[in-house]
Amino acid sequence: MMTDTSALPGLISLQGIGKRYQLAGQELTILNDVCLAIARGDSCGILGASGSGKSTLLNILGLLDLPNCGQYHFAGHNIFNASPDELAAIRNQQIGFVFQSFNLLPRLSALDNVALPLSYRGVSRHESVEQALRMLEQVGLAERAHHRPADLSGGQRQRVAIARALVGNPSVILADEPTGNLDSHTAQDIMNLLLALNREQQVTLIIVTHDPHIAERLDRKILVRNGVVQEAGRL
Amino acid sequence: MTLRVELSFSQLLHEAFVSLRTLGKRSILALLGIVIGSSSVVALINIGHNAAVDAAMIFKEMGTDTLVAQFPSKGTINLPMATRLDLDAVRQAVPGLTHIGALTLLSGPVVFHGRSTNANVVGSTPGIQGAMRLVVQEGRFLSPFDANETYGVIGAQLAQALGAPGDPLRLGDRVRINDYLFLLVGILQHQPRAMMMPVQANDSLFIPAQGMRRIYANPQIANVIIRAAPGLDMELIAQHANVALQAQLVDHTVDIQVPQQMIDGMTRQSRTFAYLLLALGAISLVGGGVGVMNVMLMNVSERRREIGIRMALGARQRDIRNLFLLEAVTLTAVGAACGAVLGMTCAWLYAWLSGWAFALAVAALPLGVGSTLLVGLFFGIYPAISASRLQPVEALRDE
Repeated sequence: MMTDTSALPGLISLQGIGKRYQLAGQELTILNDVCLAIARGDSCGILGASGSGKSTLLNILGLLDLPNCGQYHFAGHNIFNASPDELAAIRNQQIGFVFQSFNLLPRLSALDNVALPLSYRGVSRHESVEQALRMLEQVGLAERAHHRPADLSGGQRQRVAIARALVGNPSVILADEPTGNLDSHTAQDIMNLLLALNREQQVTLIIVTHDPHIAERLDRKILVRNGVVQEAGRL
Repeated sequence: MTLRVELSFSQLLHEAFVSLRTLGKRSILALLGIVIGSSSVVALINIGHNAAVDAAMIFKEMGTDTLVAQFPSKGTINLPMATRLDLDAVRQAVPGLTHIGALTLLSGPVVFHGRSTNANVVGSTPGIQGAMRLVVQEGRFLSPFDANETYGVIGAQLAQALGAPGDPLRLGDRVRINDYLFLLVGILQHQPRAMMMPVQANDSLFIPAQGMRRIYANPQIANVIIRAAPGLDMELIAQHANVALQAQLVDHTVDIQVPQQMIDGMTRQSRTFAYLLLALGAISLVGGGVGVMNVMLMNVSERRREIGIRMALGARQRDIRNLFLLEAVTLTAVGAACGAVLGMTCAWLYAWLSGWAFALAVAALPLGVGSTLLVGLFFGIYPAISASRLQPVEALRDE
């Protein structure tokens, strides 16, 4: 199946990635010849104006969208050769998503939301609930485990979402404007939490943001401008 | 790291269970929509069926299941007809025959308290009550033990004509025919006019056939009346009865009238009803189906984002499909079952209110429940499957 484990450096390696959309008969180029390498334990900010293609880049990095051309290796797997089921398994085991609008399932309790990724890898109900509870403790929400998302504040919801991203023990967390819907104080807390995870557990952190204050706290800054990617010098 | 992750069946069941448990208001509404769709099909088909049964009953009461035999003599000379026939032999020879009775007729004055009215005096065998659908209002009809008694059973209109204000004809009164007094043991209900019958029960006095000799020198059997079980070929029964009766007669032929015109009418009417039912069923199927379809389409399209989130968390296409399959099965099965119960209750209530007999339509339940299940499953799963084939980013995108 996934025999293509050629010794490419790092966790993520993009080469010549392009993404185009057909819109009203016109072809729009969103990403053009993107080359990027991200190593385990890195923390990267993806910066750029709205419409620059940074969210598309994140979706491609997170295997939510497929590029039109180029080469993408994720932890040694060639993404272009992978079946949808294999992509789902990589998402489940290697990637944790944190969205701007939280994207919790409103009908499930915080605990069930966090336990959901484990259910897709065949972990027993009992065990997944236990792990989920441990994860909620880690983000400081153990006593809210049985609340529905609607009963939680924005910051609490994003903590639940982070717990859900972390429960599967992923090698990378992809966050799309994780603090975009939060007030500055809560945003600070969430960033502290994410950076602590990056520091203490060596989880690779990739954050899409347009906030320079957030970008400043990350090791690498990747600028996206009109579909072209530039690295803004390492700190 | 393995790339194959398997969602265990118990995990899947738990998922569907949690999902249903947390259905909330929206899915109660979905359930309601399915119930309404399913019950309308069941109720409409069943109500239509009951209407058809009731209408067919009217024709039956007019006598589509009744045969009347006459006995013209062979040749030109008027030979006297037999005074009695072995009706039990005929009953045994003709399968499907339910009632048989013989009539001996005499027209003459009947006198009560000095008031005289012309009436049909009908010498009857006990089987006449069933054969002519006579319903007793008071007292009883003649029985085989009354053969030698001077008992009589009187028709409603005749009883009224003989009575007077302040002196009505009552059970136990005696009426006079020629020189004999007959004790009234029964008064009949008013009967609708029977087109086929040689006598109208309303204007008749029924007395035992053997007693006719008291008031008439040589009584002869005028008619034999036969009723058959419903739904049989009347022509065939008429042929069999003809053979059986002819065997007992020497000088007379048997002439049996089949109520063909009425039977034709009934056939046409039941065909009309069949078309009506077909249309009712089709319209309610479409109506109910569209209702269920809307509910399920709404249900899935509202959850497109959820599908996207689940895919981002690692759900495979088949996980999404199974989740929606289980939910759709449960939702439509519960909805269809409730709809069947509700529809049947409505049909029963309607039949009760309109005074029809309630009969279960064979097609109502399978059509109502089956169509709901099919439509619900299709529109529950199809959008989910097409959503699961999208790239996750497209399912996640805000509408």
